[in-house]
Amino acid sequence: MKPLVELVKVSKKFKMDGVCVTALNHISLTIKRGEFVAITGASGSGKSTLMHLLGCLDRPTSGKIYLNGQEVSQLSQNQLAKIRNQEIGFIFQAFNLLPRTSALKNVEMPLIYANVPSKRRQQIAKEKLAMVGLLDRLYHQPNQLSGGQQQRVAIARALVNNPNMILADEPTGNLDSKAGREIMKLLHQLHQHKHTIILVTHDLNLAKVAKRQIQLKDGEIVKDTHAK
Amino acid sequence: MDIFEIFRLSITALKANKIRSVLTMLGIIIGVMCVILLISLGSGLQGYITKQFESLGANTIYVLPGKVGLEEGGFQQPGAPNFSGSKLTLGHSRDLKRLGGAILESGAGIEIPVTLKFGNVAKYAKAQGVTDNFFSIYNIKVEEGRVFTKADVDLKRKVALIGQTVKEKLFANSDPLGKKILVGEERYEIIGVTEKKGSLSANNDFDNAAYLPITCTQDQFGRKNVMFIINQAKDKESIEEAKVQIKRYLSKKGLKEDDFSVVDQASLLSTINQILGVLTLALGGIAAISLLVGGIGIMNIMLVSVTERTKEIGLRKAVGARAQDILLQFLTEAVVLCLCGGGVGILLGVGGSFLAGRWLPTAVPLWSVFLAFGFSSLVGLIFGVAPAYKAARLDPIEALRYE
Repeated sequence: MKPLVELVKVSKKFKMDGVCVTALNHISLTIKRGEFVAITGASGSGKSTLMHLLGCLDRPTSGKIYLNGQEVSQLSQNQLAKIRNQEIGFIFQAFNLLPRTSALKNVEMPLIYANVPSKRRQQIAKEKLAMVGLLDRLYHQPNQLSGGQQQRVAIARALVNNPNMILADEPTGNLDSKAGREIMKLLHQLHQHKHTIILVTHDLNLAKVAKRQIQLKDGEIVKDTHAK
Repeated sequence: MDIFEIFRLSITALKANKIRSVLTMLGIIIGVMCVILLISLGSGLQGYITKQFESLGANTIYVLPGKVGLEEGGFQQPGAPNFSGSKLTLGHSRDLKRLGGAILESGAGIEIPVTLKFGNVAKYAKAQGVTDNFFSIYNIKVEEGRVFTKADVDLKRKVALIGQTVKEKLFANSDPLGKKILVGEERYEIIGVTEKKGSLSANNDFDNAAYLPITCTQDQFGRKNVMFIINQAKDKESIEEAKVQIKRYLSKKGLKEDDFSVVDQASLLSTINQILGVLTLALGGIAAISLLVGGIGIMNIMLVSVTERTKEIGLRKAVGARAQDILLQFLTEAVVLCLCGGGVGILLGVGGSFLAGRWLPTAVPLWSVFLAFGFSSLVGLIFGVAPAYKAARLDPIEALRYE
């Protein structure tokens, strides 16, 4: 079966204050559809950079990235935007919900950029919010929701376009342990529903929830529990 | 993203911050309101003066002493009429009338500021020494009584007509006919009261006047010459011919080029209209400057808004917004702000102009409303582009990290 994501000798270099920094050094990686992968590493290990590349938010300096068989490494900004809209769902540490906006409208947002008409948008958003258990909080604004509830809204938003993969960047970082556990449970459920989940975290305990752990250090993969 | 979606998004964003949106709009509101108010004042003035002139009777040709510069219509070197050094006489007027041809009527006038007295009430007004045909040439009607006859003027009878303002001040509710008033030092009997006529300018108030036979005025105030000669051409087509006739006659009588000006009503009106038209546009232009300032305010706030919403922009891009989606969104917000401000400004401007209409002539021309609307959208577009562009160019990764 064709892998969902394939990285071939991918490097990412940044110029910071004139100095060239190598964030990722010739990484090669394959993730299959339906996997639950955790990417771990200390600060500066390159895991954020890797996540940005996997999420098509950035392009590699060298090497190739294939998403669903399509090469995305050299696509235009607009093409990448479309891919992000259709094939990737993001979950951030800081939730990143629009303030002063209802949960429903927050979840609808990716559908707006997919040109889905208004009635259908509402319908889909309600479905996804029901899936994460927030049907009774549709019109609440972020400041009226707890941290865990906000993250659940974010998860509903990530699911709205039926993406190929869900990218979660430290999803429990801003939550207490109880809420954190609920979120991880939710991610686990999503995985059981055949979603591909890529979790980025520095917490090794959290990473154990995933079926596969990839550890980064200084821009290189030092451990991959699926390595052949 | 289709256009409705974009509009809805923008309105949502503006509603999220109601107070800030209103304050930002204020500049546009005031700017548009001023444009409408000032243009309506200018327009109203134009309409008023045109109406006043037109009510004076058509085909009128004035002969004024000195070089006034209004002869050919349009704007030449303007000079003031030289009333004290006037070389025009009553005889000229009588001759012109006898000439006939293109000239239908010719009358003359002298204007002297004077105090009118009845009993112990006094009024400062103008004594207008006029020929008997003055009233018909100027289209001045009587409310009661009668105008002068030729005999009144020839025999220097001490009779007078008074205007509405004088009547109100000196006689209040009683009937002035038959009563005697003091014009300066001399007594005149009132034989008529003119209808309300209004004024052409501060110096030309038809209602604040006492009309005397010109011959009496000449004697009483020691004036040999007249201040102006007023003629009526046979019809519109004869105006040019009449002007030529008048010029030829006066030159033959020994007057030089600089001693008189022959001005016809039509060119006078067109000059005035031109001047007032330019004035109206200038007023509007000045008010438009405040619109410019309003636009700068919009740009300022949009820039702040973009910075404030950096994370939001990053998020939108992360979930699939393209650069042009972001650009359109913010540009639309600026345009919507300006259109709303423009709408309110127009309402206030029209309303204010109705209010001012109780004291001043105002008329809101439809073109000014369209102009104001168009201008405010333009302002929104121009001043919204830079912030919108800045928003569109944000890198999603950087934007999401922004604190």
